[in-house]
Amino acid sequence: MIKIIVDNKEISVRPGIRVIDALRENGIEVPSMCYMTGIDHFTSCMVCLVRDGKTGNFYPSCSHMVEEGMVIISEDEEVRESRKIALELLLSEHVGDCEAPCQIACPAHMNIPLMNRLLAEGKFDEALRVVKQDIALPAVLGRICTAPCEGACRRRTIDEPVSICLLKRFAGDHDLAGDRKYLPFRESPKNKRVAVIGAGPAGLSAAYYLSVRGYDCEVYDRNRMPGGSLRKEVDAAVLPEEVLDAEIQVIRDLGVTFHQDIRVDAERFRELHGHFDAVLIAAGNHNDEYGKWGLNTVRTGLETSGDTFRIGDTGIFAVGSALRPTRLAIRALGQGKEVAFSIDQLLTGRQVTGEPFLFNSRFGKLAPEEFEEYLKESVPDARVAVSHNRGFSREEVIREAARCMHCDCRGIPDCKLRIYADQYGASQKRFGSDSRKLVGKQIQHDAVIFEPSKCIKCGICVRLTSAHKEEFGLTFIGRGFDVEVGVPFGESLKKGLRKVALKVADACPTGAISRKV
Amino acid sequence: MSTDLSYIDAIVESLGKEQRYVIPILQSIQKRYNYLPEDALRRVCELTEITPAQIVGVASFYAQFRFKPAGKHLIKVCVGTACHVKGSEQVFDALKRALNLKGNADTTDSGSYTVEKVNCLGCCTLAPVVQIDSITYGHVTTGQVGNLIRDFEEQKDTTGKKRFRNAEGEEIEGEIRIGLGSCCVASGSEEIRKAVLDSIERNNLNVKLKHVGCVGMCHQVPLVEIVPLNREPFLYSKVQAADVEQIISKHFQPKGFLRKTGFRLLNLLDTFLDDSRWEGIQRYALDTREKHVSSFLGKQKPIATEFRGQINPVDMEEYRERGGFTALQKYILNGDPSRIIDELKRSGIRGRGGAGFPTGKKWELVAARKSDRKYVICNGDEGDPGAFMDRMLLESYPYRIIEGIIIAGYATGADEGFFYIRAEYPLAVSRVQTAIDRCYEEGYLGENILGTGFRFNLSIYQGAGAFVCGEETALIASIEGNRGFPRIRPPFPADKGLWGKPTLVNNTETFAQIAYILRHQSDSFNSIGTSGSKGTKVFALAGKVARGGLIEVPMGITIREVVMEIGGGIANGRAFKAVQIGGPSGGCVPSWLADTPIDYESLSEVGAMMGSGGLVVLDDTDCMVDIAKYFLSFTQNESCGKCTFCRIGTKRMLEILEKITEGNGQESDLETLEVLAEWTRKGSLCGLGKTAPNPVLSTLKYFREEYMAHINGTCPTGKCKDLIKYYITEDCIGCTLCAQSCPADAIAFKPLERHVIDTERCIKCDSCRQVCPENAVITR
Repeated sequence: MIKIIVDNKEISVRPGIRVIDALRENGIEVPSMCYMTGIDHFTSCMVCLVRDGKTGNFYPSCSHMVEEGMVIISEDEEVRESRKIALELLLSEHVGDCEAPCQIACPAHMNIPLMNRLLAEGKFDEALRVVKQDIALPAVLGRICTAPCEGACRRRTIDEPVSICLLKRFAGDHDLAGDRKYLPFRESPKNKRVAVIGAGPAGLSAAYYLSVRGYDCEVYDRNRMPGGSLRKEVDAAVLPEEVLDAEIQVIRDLGVTFHQDIRVDAERFRELHGHFDAVLIAAGNHNDEYGKWGLNTVRTGLETSGDTFRIGDTGIFAVGSALRPTRLAIRALGQGKEVAFSIDQLLTGRQVTGEPFLFNSRFGKLAPEEFEEYLKESVPDARVAVSHNRGFSREEVIREAARCMHCDCRGIPDCKLRIYADQYGASQKRFGSDSRKLVGKQIQHDAVIFEPSKCIKCGICVRLTSAHKEEFGLTFIGRGFDVEVGVPFGESLKKGLRKVALKVADACPTGAISRKV
Repeated sequence: MSTDLSYIDAIVESLGKEQRYVIPILQSIQKRYNYLPEDALRRVCELTEITPAQIVGVASFYAQFRFKPAGKHLIKVCVGTACHVKGSEQVFDALKRALNLKGNADTTDSGSYTVEKVNCLGCCTLAPVVQIDSITYGHVTTGQVGNLIRDFEEQKDTTGKKRFRNAEGEEIEGEIRIGLGSCCVASGSEEIRKAVLDSIERNNLNVKLKHVGCVGMCHQVPLVEIVPLNREPFLYSKVQAADVEQIISKHFQPKGFLRKTGFRLLNLLDTFLDDSRWEGIQRYALDTREKHVSSFLGKQKPIATEFRGQINPVDMEEYRERGGFTALQKYILNGDPSRIIDELKRSGIRGRGGAGFPTGKKWELVAARKSDRKYVICNGDEGDPGAFMDRMLLESYPYRIIEGIIIAGYATGADEGFFYIRAEYPLAVSRVQTAIDRCYEEGYLGENILGTGFRFNLSIYQGAGAFVCGEETALIASIEGNRGFPRIRPPFPADKGLWGKPTLVNNTETFAQIAYILRHQSDSFNSIGTSGSKGTKVFALAGKVARGGLIEVPMGITIREVVMEIGGGIANGRAFKAVQIGGPSGGCVPSWLADTPIDYESLSEVGAMMGSGGLVVLDDTDCMVDIAKYFLSFTQNESCGKCTFCRIGTKRMLEILEKITEGNGQESDLETLEVLAEWTRKGSLCGLGKTAPNPVLSTLKYFREEYMAHINGTCPTGKCKDLIKYYITEDCIGCTLCAQSCPADAIAFKPLERHVIDTERCIKCDSCRQVCPENAVITR
């Protein structure tokens, strides 16, 4: 063993290993994308930079061997900045979406492309499960949502957006029509109680997700029936009461107790605050009342801190119109889901940070040349027409869902670029350029899809195909900024990846080459 | 399409089937087919160990290789620094217009011409330069490109008609020396050589014609030196073939007449020394002791360029007569390699490639390694725009460099050496090859050198056009048959170099100084220069000086002395603004810091760098933002693309500079530029990326107000096309030259009236300004 000094602490490491491995073996996280054991070494991504404590110079920790007496700074502001800038440079030429624009536009952040794929395959139950991860009342919302997602749908630039809202409604209706309605898996009971004041969209959503997280949840509502504005302000012809009741019944079935006809005043509020582990205010915009409860308000509503929906450092939270008047039910629903996350953080003794929003790579509008690329995984058919009252039939759903162009990235689950960008707070725009590469999708391979515009030129695939003696494999073509990775002689990806397609897809640190699934 | 592939089988057979031969194989294929046909490459993969991934990866990395057939004639537009500041971009555009090439097209539909930019043709003093096949045109203006192509069409078939016989007599009346350096050749010395031979033959003279390498007076080329026996030599500059007969007859006839002529012509010198035009220049005799010329040579100290202009590059006897190979002989017979290293360490010599690592120490490191094989590499992969020192040294002093390499082999325990020379330097390649062959014949190379049992083999490896291969690890990757990707050091090549063996890599100029140091003892070298930088440095002096050329100066000389005394000050009476030292890795030193001594430390203190030795002088008409953009676009284009900071950082910096020079910049762009510059410097893998921001950082430091001016919408020097308009002043005499030269019909033809430019139509090609005899065309 040899001794090195890392961040002012002496540690013993095995001789003959790389600095990055020595650090990682000692529990120090070092990001890296181009480094992979078992293939030739290649210094490319530069996100593993560390600083030499003696000279102040930066070097990639994957490319130096440990030496006795080395002094390494692996983590300080400057090192973080160096990695952040490397990531920002990579992001500036990384053309692709992480999450699809529709998902980002959705205030509840629903995984729309996944729902579409399942619907297109006729897997309606699975589709519903995906929907319900983010939207507690899909049949309701499927009738009243203003669908910001469809405004962001890339299909819009080609013809008309996918009818996302109606697809979601179908998933909800299909579930309600069945014998056994879907009940999500409930985490084991936390033995903690949460009071929710108000049974409108925000309160209902919060109650649903708090219950899923294992909390005993009681809803206090001043109306005779739960539903709040959904019941009082929406025309029954648009949203029949039985649909609303059916979806609320699911929430009851999850174990949520509803106390109706109860007007919470200052005294009642203090009581709830005393009896429950946390209290959520989702009772609409009543500033005067909240003032009497001893809570701070600003012009728009209750004052909460940041994205946590928490009032100060209390156990009181607030969402929906209580914060800021909104007529957008989906936003209230989304907040209900998010606050459940914050409350869970508080009641499990963690720091309350709110639900994290991961970094998203985005590139803006599609260029006309890209329409064809996106249609490769879709159908050219026009939007399926439907009258809003009836909703889609099974056949229509399958046809319409097939129109989705799957703008989301397949590499999301293990994309290192995204994970590090998030960790280091990198901005894709900081070194953004006016010109960008065009997105291309090579889909002819059975097992993998190749999107060169996402490639960060780390060369792992080039080295893997060479190590496994692929006849053609992949190679760097050109040099400098314009270098590309491709199959030599313009051969097909099928020919290039005969042996190690899946290995390559799994090793690709971003979504340039991914499994088709 | 099918290609006759039997040739492929033959070259594979002769070159070899291992992966390391991929570049020589590709070079042979391209030589044969004029490009790389895909079926030829596939055939290579069938026949050899080379894989499709390797051959495509390598072929697409190096600029030399083409995947589409090139035209019958290749037009190379030099865009080196000196040419750039004299308007080569506009010449390139004009050529494309003349050949009707739109967009990215580089080859005419008929397949007659391919036009391309090259980084440096090494004729900086003739800037801007265009080369069509083997004919070089200097001082090209945008208006002349039509004539240029016409002239080439007339000239192309006229070569090789006459045969010349060399005149060798028992009694030699004298010697005629003709410069055969690239500048001289480019300016027409080959024509003169023929005219001299013709004249010698016709007049039956017993005069010896001698070819000499570069004299370093490139601003005066072509040079002819007449050396009558037992009399003073006379040097003629800017000689034209038609003058040869007259010159020769003067010298080899009764004297008296001669001196008079020489005198009269000398008085005219000042007028013509600025070599601003090539047409209408007569020949002028220069006496080397005359004031201007002696100052051109006076402060210089030739070591790498010792005996410049006096020896025939490939004549081994002449090299030996002047002490050649005595250093090798002395130290090799002495039998103690460590004494060589001690002597070098005492001399204080540091690597001339730019970084300045102590040479003796480097040799010592390699010598100390125990290994079955060791290698020596001479790095002649000069690629800086505006630098041609290596080329000149290789062309003019091949034996001197070879001697240095053999000594290095002996001192370090290596038994094999490689010259890495750019394939774009064919003359250097052939001269060095001739010299290597002679050395084998004479026993300086081979199995048993000078009977001592020391074995050393030396061969040439031709680089395929990648600036990054000047970086030693990239150079090694290239010799091994890979893309020229540099790698992190350590391990240094001294530990793990070529094929994993200890390898000594030195710059050409470094090797050129070794024999001198050992022959004259270290003190002779040590006594020149400053405390940290010993000896001399060769520079390519170009740009806006009155006299440009190759110079070798003692370390510690100030920038001012070089510009004002050696370079004769700024041409055309303009004001001295800055010097750009060190090429794309270097920086701009403003005129107010001109008293900075030229040594490694002082230059880096002011934000420049010794680099490999480009020294471009800028005057008050040069735009510093444009200069920064120029150098950055060079490095950006030459980035290998391996590491993030260089690949993307240089690109983003360039985009910002383009935005600024197009008038779309904002003040916040400067901050982003600085952040990018700082981190590209700190974070890049190799020297190319680490130094690429220097031109930007140094201009931002000294000329920030020029950046601000662009951001506010004006280019103070009127260089940036998007920020200027052409305009004709009242000085116009109505000569119509501008209207005639305008390719865009933006100037109406109005004899004897003041002309007017239609700025909507104007394409800013600069033709009108160049032809105007009254300087009435201005930009604003």
